[in-house]
Amino acid sequence: MTEMTDMRTVYGETLIKVGEENSNVVVVGADTTDSLKTKPFGKKFPNRFFNVGIAEANLVSIAAGLANEGKVPFASTYAIFLPGRCVDQIRNAIAYPSRNGKKGLNVKMVVSHGGLSVGADGGSHQQIEDIAIMRVIPNVNVLIPADTVAVSKLTWIISQIHGPFYMRMTRSKTPLIHSESQEFEIGKGIVLRDGSDCTIAACGITVQMALDAADSLKQEGISCRVLDMFSIKPIDSSLIEKAARETGGIVTCEEHNILAGFGSAVSEVVTETYPVPMRRIGVQDKFGESARDNEVPLLLQKHGITSINIANSVKDIRSKTR
Amino acid sequence: MSLNYYHILKRIREARKLVIRGITAAGSGHPGGSFSMAEIMGCVFFKFLRYDPKNPLWEDRDRLVLSKGHASPGLFSNLAVAGYFDKSEIETLRKFESRLQGHPDFKCPGVEFCGGSLGIGLSFSIGMALAARVDGKTHRIYTIIGDGESDEGQVWEAAMTASKYKLDNLTAFLDRNFIQQDDYTERVMPLDEELTGDDISEMWKNAARWKTGDKWRSFGWNVLEIDGHRIEQIIKAIRSVQQTKGTPSIVVARTIKGKGVEHMEDNPKWHGVAPNPKIAPIIDLELDCQFLIAPSIIAGDMTNLGNEVKRAAQGRADFIHLDVMDGLFVPNKTFDHNKIKELRPITSIPFDSHLMITDPVKHVRDYVEAGSDIITVHAEVCDESSFGEIHDILRTNEVSVGLAINPDTELPQWTDKFISDLDQLILMSVIPGKSGQKYIESSHEKTHRIVKLLTKQNFSGFIEADGGVDLSNVESCFLDGARVFVGGSAIIGQKDVRSTISEFRKKILHGRRKLLIQKAHSLGGTELVNKWIDLHEVGKKKSELLQIAKEAGFV
Repeated sequence: MTEMTDMRTVYGETLIKVGEENSNVVVVGADTTDSLKTKPFGKKFPNRFFNVGIAEANLVSIAAGLANEGKVPFASTYAIFLPGRCVDQIRNAIAYPSRNGKKGLNVKMVVSHGGLSVGADGGSHQQIEDIAIMRVIPNVNVLIPADTVAVSKLTWIISQIHGPFYMRMTRSKTPLIHSESQEFEIGKGIVLRDGSDCTIAACGITVQMALDAADSLKQEGISCRVLDMFSIKPIDSSLIEKAARETGGIVTCEEHNILAGFGSAVSEVVTETYPVPMRRIGVQDKFGESARDNEVPLLLQKHGITSINIANSVKDIRSKTR
Repeated sequence: MSLNYYHILKRIREARKLVIRGITAAGSGHPGGSFSMAEIMGCVFFKFLRYDPKNPLWEDRDRLVLSKGHASPGLFSNLAVAGYFDKSEIETLRKFESRLQGHPDFKCPGVEFCGGSLGIGLSFSIGMALAARVDGKTHRIYTIIGDGESDEGQVWEAAMTASKYKLDNLTAFLDRNFIQQDDYTERVMPLDEELTGDDISEMWKNAARWKTGDKWRSFGWNVLEIDGHRIEQIIKAIRSVQQTKGTPSIVVARTIKGKGVEHMEDNPKWHGVAPNPKIAPIIDLELDCQFLIAPSIIAGDMTNLGNEVKRAAQGRADFIHLDVMDGLFVPNKTFDHNKIKELRPITSIPFDSHLMITDPVKHVRDYVEAGSDIITVHAEVCDESSFGEIHDILRTNEVSVGLAINPDTELPQWTDKFISDLDQLILMSVIPGKSGQKYIESSHEKTHRIVKLLTKQNFSGFIEADGGVDLSNVESCFLDGARVFVGGSAIIGQKDVRSTISEFRKKILHGRRKLLIQKAHSLGGTELVNKWIDLHEVGKKKSELLQIAKEAGFV
């Protein structure tokens, strides 16, 4: 059994370390600091921690003001309350303001509870539009880590480079995908398995599904390349092009609306660089519903987000291309 | 420190003219909200804000956030006047590849916040204020929000947050002009109370019905309510705010949308429309014709000058004229700096000290210390060197600089080098020495002549008509070129100072309207006169203007 770890816990712990190293790092919360595990940062650095209450527009705009003054604010709450609710403030107060060649203000929007896997809270709380919303805003970078190793490393990385970042974490514990020695670079995907017959590109919790699908296909003699595309914007175009060229087909999988999401981002690259057949797995333009933790796999299954569906899509592509 | 009254006033006037220049060239933009906040902007920029145009991102600068971003011409014009860029750049406003975008943008040096989407700026300012606190910095954040903008819920999120964090380094200004894009604010979304029926103009003249300040008070803010077009009130408010610890402050400034241009004032139509290029020169002249009323208190009860100051203040004088006579330069004696010091705490209205004394250079410091905001000395008792010294003392202390000449005196040659920098020139139209004399008729001709001369010398100050000015001649004095009117017995000598001052204003306004109609006629004949008059939609302005135009034979 793979070890399961909690992204928010690791995020909170990493923030403290980042904060120790860089006194400009500040944290802003909106009444979810306990849940987001940023509270310990506030205990450690009470002067650099601000809880603005249930006021998300205020949260991101204050973060923008802090960033304008050279601070490195981490603004955190649940995914559902940030991109959808605050797209105007994110666009106009964070992404738009650019001076001296620096694009956008240096705000790090790190959220939890992305996608369908939120579960029990129901469709109203399942943010399945955030990739679409955030990636179309100029200057905004979008990251979806697959495990706690990625969360920790990416938290460090984004604290050190300029620019608005949106990083989406998962509510429940996730399996460890990466080794501690794995290196991360913004705009670069990670090849988790090499293969020659097809490519499976995934992000967040679907990375484990992609690995599972590749395992099962391997037994059937199909060699799949598996990519962790944690950096959705900027996206690793050359890695995608290479995969298209070398494997002849790509299946994407995401916990997000199929429209304008991760699969769309990959297909934009594929169509312009090396067109090959693609299948995009994700939410088929509808809303989710409640599911208790042990029922979340059923919810995902209902929306076709499973390793079996990934495997079937790979086979489908191969049958059409032969 | 004194008010630096004319210094600010002149820059406000210049900024307003640049707004018209920019918006007219662009063919679109928001004059109304730029003008309602013009005095606030002017006072912040030219009295309080610490900045360096050569180093716009100087770490210790104060921050000015224009949250009501559509009033960007009102910000850009002040940045130009402050020296961030050449004034002619205002003509690139809203044009392709310009640094002066439709809304404030970092492309323009000196802009601290990319505004436009309303309701965000106060939150952004909180971020700035928190950062300053984390860093132990003492700079201040000034943020201007609109009343229409206050419909945005985020403003009230920010109101709570600033209060929670006790951000005393943050000062907000509410530009309460009562007009938003669609209509009057109290019709669209009442901040004070809902406006029903057609009771448009009276509603917000009644301060008892204003509740906006109470809203902010209930959010834990230090609230100051002022007339947002009176420089001394704005300055007093900011000074008070700077002394306030432990709470954020908001200055609720009652303003007039489109202030300074009659046809734009209080008319919702001028929220976001550019003037016709043919009309623009008329507006430009109108902005040059700002006038001020200064009652002279010695015409009142000399045994109770405190009361005369109060009457002048309550009568809504622009400033108070104090005739200091020493019994040497003039035969009479009135009072000296000690009296001024005694009167000073009564009001914040500017004190215009007219020193009819010999050897003013010896005494000028006393009058600065007594709290004068404008000090005028006589050319007859100065020379280049002594006036130079006086000039420098006054400038150092942010006191406005005035020079006076008697009816039988011409401007001496040595004054040439000071003219362009002079704030005020008093042309005496009676022999100085006592109150209640008759206006010397030849002063009209003399004023005309001197105005012409001064224009050649780049004079940007105000000419003050002093002596025998009353309701019968104040309009002609205005048409001569005077812009400040001292009223002795004609104002202070009257029972009802307030209505007399109001009568004075009406007379001057009549003259100004005549002048502008003339200007319109010279630019575009009867057609332009009619076009310009048609713009005056609010109240009775239009019919009054038509009457004047008819009398003058222009329509």
